[in-house]
Amino acid sequence: MHARLPKKTARYRPPSDRTSPGMTIFLSLLCLIFAYPFAWMLVSAFKTNSEIFHPLKFWPASLNATGFKMLFSEQWFPFTRVFFNSIFIAAAQAVGAVGLSLLAGYVFARHQGRRVRIFFVLALSVIVMPPPTFAVPLFSWLHQLHLLDRSAGVILPGLVSGLGVLYFTQVFRQVPDELIDSARMEGASEFQVVRLLFPLLSSAVISFGVIHFVLAWHQHLIPLLVLNSRDQQTLPVALAALYGSSLRFPYAVLMAGSVMSILPVALFFGLAYRRFKSALADVLV
Amino acid sequence: METASPAPRRSGPSGLALLLPFFIFFVLFWLIPLLGSLKMSVYADTLVSAPEFVGLAHYRQILNDPRFGKAFFNTARYTVAILLIILPLALVLAQAVRMSHRRFRPALTFALLLPGLAPPAVLALLFLLVFHGEQGLLNQLLIMPFGGEPINWLKDPHYILPALVLQAVWRWTGFITFFFLAGMENIPRSLYEAAHLETNHRWQVWRTITVPHLRPVLVFAAVYLMVDAFAQFSGAYVLLGGSGGTGDAGLLLISYGYQNAFTYGKFGTAAAMSALIAPWLMGIFWLCMMRTRRATA
Repeated sequence: MHARLPKKTARYRPPSDRTSPGMTIFLSLLCLIFAYPFAWMLVSAFKTNSEIFHPLKFWPASLNATGFKMLFSEQWFPFTRVFFNSIFIAAAQAVGAVGLSLLAGYVFARHQGRRVRIFFVLALSVIVMPPPTFAVPLFSWLHQLHLLDRSAGVILPGLVSGLGVLYFTQVFRQVPDELIDSARMEGASEFQVVRLLFPLLSSAVISFGVIHFVLAWHQHLIPLLVLNSRDQQTLPVALAALYGSSLRFPYAVLMAGSVMSILPVALFFGLAYRRFKSALADVLV
Repeated sequence: METASPAPRRSGPSGLALLLPFFIFFVLFWLIPLLGSLKMSVYADTLVSAPEFVGLAHYRQILNDPRFGKAFFNTARYTVAILLIILPLALVLAQAVRMSHRRFRPALTFALLLPGLAPPAVLALLFLLVFHGEQGLLNQLLIMPFGGEPINWLKDPHYILPALVLQAVWRWTGFITFFFLAGMENIPRSLYEAAHLETNHRWQVWRTITVPHLRPVLVFAAVYLMVDAFAQFSGAYVLLGGSGGTGDAGLLLISYGYQNAFTYGKFGTAAAMSALIAPWLMGIFWLCMMRTRRATA
């Protein structure tokens, strides 16, 4: 991103160019510790129960993909449906939250006045009181709205993101004034201004979309309460229920399911990584 | 149409209209249930219809409840431990990543981020297996070979809260490191060059340039972790099954709230608990926001 200094003045080497093998090794070891349980989890999807409970043996006796086979055979829970639920619910929340927060962030960044400030404070209050803190009244309210046991019951509350408002307010603050002023001078309505700016914000939009997708993917309490039927559940909830279900079930299924619960988010994150990093840098500092 | 001005525009009808979508959902799915919680907190706990108004009885009861005190104390210790461990660790790790060979950086960052990407329920399940009494990975790999007694992490009251803290550290350290990394890359090189003219000491450069520039990120990370510590449900839930563990050693405020609401059916009490905690969280949040404003103004 930064151009390299010409050789003759480059006695100075910036911090990120002064790499050290010692650091690399130290960090690699640490990362190994962090990631090892996941490697073990992946391999354990191929093991029998007794092999799982003797964790010193890393590799299974045979690479028979029984864990995955059993998972996809759906004898424990309707995996395909549940997996799809999770994806749909998380994606819907990501798209919706981005939309709502984007519009709100623009107003908070580019408008002044006491009323605007009051609304800003209100929006940010959502951060410290997320839905799990009022789960019970939410449950009975959703019941009254006939939204129980439906994806919408989880999606709609999840569209209100205080973090998103904070994020996009910062993003819009950094848009050059001239762009907005010239658009306004040409008679554009505020909505049209936002539409105009949208292509500039693609990194920010993708980044927050990924963040919100991940947070939604992880939700537990609300889906646990709202989605009761087996074919409405989300993946983390179904996996947790599996663990407590019976005494003699093959843990390999749980391992396989857990792998599948990480795959989509790891994929999205990996794809958006670079954009993510630069957008985050712009917003946070 | 106003003439162009560099300052932000005064709010007009068109501007505020853009706030409408957000605030419709805000009112429908946040404000209304939240007010419902307040209302619930002043009514009796009965599940039968028409509960009676009990005023502040629940609040009084909670403040005299030793288990609530324990949950509060546990949550406070849990939050402080998480902040004290993760923030410095992430700072060090971010610097370490910057000092590692470029080619390894994406893989290293990914390994650090992986626990943050996994659903907390899955992390807890992994944790259950890693931290299992005798057959758990941790005991088998790192403790018993060195002649130690296997620690029953999940049953021994001394180790339950540390286990919860470790779980949170494992989950969030990578994420926060990532935030710091992003922040560090935004520090203009010219600042480092200027500093280099005055001192060759890495530590001084670190102290006077890198850390101050990361202040907004630090505050953001601190708030994020604090909110997660108070509101994160599934880690403790999967690990301890909705209870507080032996002797309530692992009882967190949110677990206790869940217990009251769903195990005991005491909805009013649970709602009152949320209402008691909220002002603290709000207060801390606004304190942090105010400090960032002043610092960056």
